[in-house]
Amino acid sequence: MPIRIRLDRLLLDRRMSLTELADRVGVTIANLSILKTGKARAIRFSTLASLCRELQCQPGDLVVFEPGPPGEPEEDGLEE
Amino acid sequence: MRALGPGSVSSFLKVILDVFRWVLLIAAGAVFMAMIVVLLLSFKPELLGGAVDFNGMHIKGAWLGPIAAATLLAGDLYLLGALIIVGRLRRIFQTLVMGDPFHPDNVRRLHTIGIALAALELGRYAFTIVERMFAHGLHLTRIPPGGAINLTTWFAVLVIVVLAEVFREGARLRGEAELTI
Repeated sequence: MPIRIRLDRLLLDRRMSLTELADRVGVTIANLSILKTGKARAIRFSTLASLCRELQCQPGDLVVFEPGPPGEPEEDGLEE
Repeated sequence: MRALGPGSVSSFLKVILDVFRWVLLIAAGAVFMAMIVVLLLSFKPELLGGAVDFNGMHIKGAWLGPIAAATLLAGDLYLLGALIIVGRLRRIFQTLVMGDPFHPDNVRRLHTIGIALAALELGRYAFTIVERMFAHGLHLTRIPPGGAINLTTWFAVLVIVVLAEVFREGARLRGEAELTI
């Protein structure tokens, strides 16, 4: 999927650990890990809002679109 | 009354399936043992009573042992098919009791049930045809229209196939929900 979550870079810039962010946002570390490693299929607006609030950033800083090489099929994240 | 979870209707049905599975296991074992005994006694047909009447057929002589054993084998295969269906149903109900109906494995289980049900019905046709071949001196008689084909069974097979796809969609949505943060 060409959507990338740049959580690791934001955490590094804010000098914040994943555990601290999980505590502040109210999401489990396991779920934040899924988000950080790009395994997540979707993100709730409420989670995105909490992350932006705690990381003091805009959604665009957290979520970016990186298209793959031409001809490569884009996954829609709905495969089995 | 709750449909899912511990102490629910699913839980009650699972207990019934557990009991039914044991009954089928014992019956399948007993029929298998009977088949072995008949095969061993087929060398002396008089020990089997000399003759047997089965479905209007009077069987005697050297054919008695093999026909009786083949009939028991068919019965045992039928019971094994029923065991597969009950076993998979039991597993599905186990997931219902755990409150997780859209477990990904339930799709495969439903497919297995559908295939087993279809195989049992086809096996029944095959048995009927072979039985008539013997009954009419190897001349196959016409199957009476509507009499041998059980439409309810084929309808059930189709419903199960559709249900399996519904469960596949449910499992997919469950996966989506799990990976939604």
